[in-house]
Amino acid sequence: MEGDRRRPPGKLDAAASLAARALPSFCTPFLDQARLDARMLLDRAGGKTPAPVIERLPSPTPLDEVDPLVLLPRRLADKVRTAHRDIAMLGGRLIFGKTPAPLIERPRPAPGAVVSLARKAPQMARTVKVVDVVRETADAVSIYLTEEDGSPIEFKPGQFLSVDVNVDGHKLRRAYSLANACLPGVPVHITVKRMADGRVSNHLNDTIQAGDTLSVLGPSGNFTVEPRSVNERHFVMLAGGSGITPIMSLLETVLHQEKRSKVTLIYGNRGWDDIIFRERLARLSVELGERLVIDHVLEKPPEAWSGGEGLLSDDVVLERLDALGIEDDGMLRYFVCGPTPMMEAVHEVLKRRGVDAARIAEERFTRPEDRHGGLGSDKIELVVISKSGSEHGVQVAPGQTILEAALAAGLDMPFSCAMGGCGACRVRQRSGDIQVEEPNCLSRSEKERGYILTCVGRPLAQSRIEVEGS
Amino acid sequence: MLTNKVLENLPFSIRRRLEPYIEAVQVMTETSNPKVLRAMAPSGIRGLILQRGKQGVPTKMPSHHETHFDWTYPNDQPEMRELYTRAKEQQWNGEDLPWDIDVDPENPEVPIIPPEFMSYDELRGMGIKLTELEQHRLNASVGAWMLSQFLHGEQGALFAAAQVTEAVQFFDGKLYGSTQVVDEGRHVEVFHRYLDTKLNKLYQINDNLFVIIDALIQDSRWDLKFLGMQIMVEGLALGAFGTLYQMTKEPLLKELLKKVIQDEARHVHYGVIALRDHFQNELSESEQREREDWAFEVALLMRNRFLSYEVYEEWFEHKITRKQWAHMVSHSPGFEIFRQVMFQRLVPNLREIGLLSDRIKPHYERVGLMQYFDGRSADHLSGDELIAELDAA
Repeated sequence: MEGDRRRPPGKLDAAASLAARALPSFCTPFLDQARLDARMLLDRAGGKTPAPVIERLPSPTPLDEVDPLVLLPRRLADKVRTAHRDIAMLGGRLIFGKTPAPLIERPRPAPGAVVSLARKAPQMARTVKVVDVVRETADAVSIYLTEEDGSPIEFKPGQFLSVDVNVDGHKLRRAYSLANACLPGVPVHITVKRMADGRVSNHLNDTIQAGDTLSVLGPSGNFTVEPRSVNERHFVMLAGGSGITPIMSLLETVLHQEKRSKVTLIYGNRGWDDIIFRERLARLSVELGERLVIDHVLEKPPEAWSGGEGLLSDDVVLERLDALGIEDDGMLRYFVCGPTPMMEAVHEVLKRRGVDAARIAEERFTRPEDRHGGLGSDKIELVVISKSGSEHGVQVAPGQTILEAALAAGLDMPFSCAMGGCGACRVRQRSGDIQVEEPNCLSRSEKERGYILTCVGRPLAQSRIEVEGS
Repeated sequence: MLTNKVLENLPFSIRRRLEPYIEAVQVMTETSNPKVLRAMAPSGIRGLILQRGKQGVPTKMPSHHETHFDWTYPNDQPEMRELYTRAKEQQWNGEDLPWDIDVDPENPEVPIIPPEFMSYDELRGMGIKLTELEQHRLNASVGAWMLSQFLHGEQGALFAAAQVTEAVQFFDGKLYGSTQVVDEGRHVEVFHRYLDTKLNKLYQINDNLFVIIDALIQDSRWDLKFLGMQIMVEGLALGAFGTLYQMTKEPLLKELLKKVIQDEARHVHYGVIALRDHFQNELSESEQREREDWAFEVALLMRNRFLSYEVYEEWFEHKITRKQWAHMVSHSPGFEIFRQVMFQRLVPNLREIGLLSDRIKPHYERVGLMQYFDGRSADHLSGDELIAELDAA
């Protein structure tokens, strides 16, 4: 349908427009009709019949939009227009005291306008140095790190680094918790346990050595605690396998800084030789006496084992809590980190015991390859990002995350772990359709309120997001 | 003087309306050389009275120069050929600037221009008390105003460079000129991107800058275009960019200006070598005088009238008079440094091309510009040396 076709105004229209401006306004309808009539007569006289189909009939330009200067030759008309503007400028200033606006009005980027195009791969990660490598068990290795200039990496107990590793030409990203006490002078390390089929964990266990560098993001994460020397608290920490790494940092930091607090650790492993930090924990236990209670639970215990046995299922967790005499007094704080079945079991038991969810901190890690629902659109989509009162249009290529596209386009976006685990890149979706990889760290209520994570979010259609608090 | 007295006795609202016109008439009547007045007056009327640059429509300026073809492609100016080679080697891409830097023009930690740029004490004396936040905002406005004028100047330079490339009679000059056109296009690109995406603000063209651009774009004489563009406007730009480069704490702007300054140094160098022989050997005495006076008038226009009136109109038009504003700005520490660096660059170049004869020297002496006479001219200063000099200052 050609809805907006207009017949360009001719001399006749211009003459009618001029007359309409000169004569009183009640004459305008007559003049308007007269020019249409005259035009029709002239057309017919010239052998032109009106188009029989209405859609093809060009509509006449409304009389008040016809510029009477069409009557003049183009150059002369331009001169008259310039003179008109000059007089308006002079008159406006002298008579009405009107100064021309000092600023040039610029259209703000409308939704759909593309201001920035992604050009370069964003530099998100930074390099850190591997200064030492210590084998903790046959299947776990601690990697000691400093910033590239040799300074210590700053973090809060329980936080993790996102580590980018190239394996067979593929860049893979994994989260590894910083496992040392967050105290001055204590060397900073992550500890990596070999997972069955784990491409990154096996690669690091097999190849990493002092003098290497790693590409990392962060530290990130809210699985942390703020130690204060005046506190007197009781923490119950439950760890399964490599889930000990953030727990180790938390308990060492808390017990050193809060001299009156105590920790009960329930720590599940396959066998006695699989226990990461076994010696370190034993030493701590001697040093701290009854402020640190360690309860090892082994799936395949050695002979004459008197401690807890089995996988950390709900029965076993319940049994261990009872065996340790832990009564929830409404003040206990729980920190839980381990494989998903164990996390669920602990969650269930604590719920049954009536523990308020606000007192339970959980840390879950999933491999990006195990997440689902994140491919996004198969064509380039536009995402309009409002930030600090301005709007920026960003083109997001298929497969690219919104964060990657925005950083590549030069926008300063909030982010930290870049793998859906910390929530630093949380933004609010205002319109459109954005797919976010699951699972991620957003709570159910955050999702309901329209929050998404840009680091694992990809548009399915043109969308609009808002970076809050900027 | 009489007009000043009459103005002072008028009600504020009437005075505000008349002041710009009286100022415009004063500028034109101050010109002593009738030939210069004849050449500049139409531009003065279009820019200062009719404010053609601010009418909200694209401005059309006819050009009257001749395009000079040479079908023999001579190697006629080795120094220009050398500049052409250097220009090709030093091309850069505006996209490569660190655009990912987040700029907050009101952040006092990383100011666009330093906090002591404007004289707030004098403003206070006029009854205008600004809070700290308002001072940051005013400073950010002055920064955006300066950069807006740079952008408008660069648009003028882009078209003037194209005209000069057509009009110049040296073939090596034409080749070099083609690189300058690209340079100016890139400068328009980066200044516009900075204003549009980082400062989110764009001021109208200053009326005096419009007059200069209008005069040189419409003048048919190639050497006057050269003088206006390559020596005066580019010289002004070089000084202004240098000042801002020294003063700004904003890292993206600093990097941007550093790149632009290195280009500008070549542009002024070209102007000096193209005009040196022409002015000394080809012109009659009266033509020489006219150019001398023209340069002096334009220098004055730039010294006295480039006073961020658009910021005044945005902020204080209803509170203080234009004259009070002009006094405050011309005595503010930032603008004083700005003018100093500008003339430090300009005056030695005028000397080098022979436009500082004994006849005109007393005029420069009177307005305090002769102190810059012994400086190094652009043909003896590379872009790198300029940056090193600015960094050391």
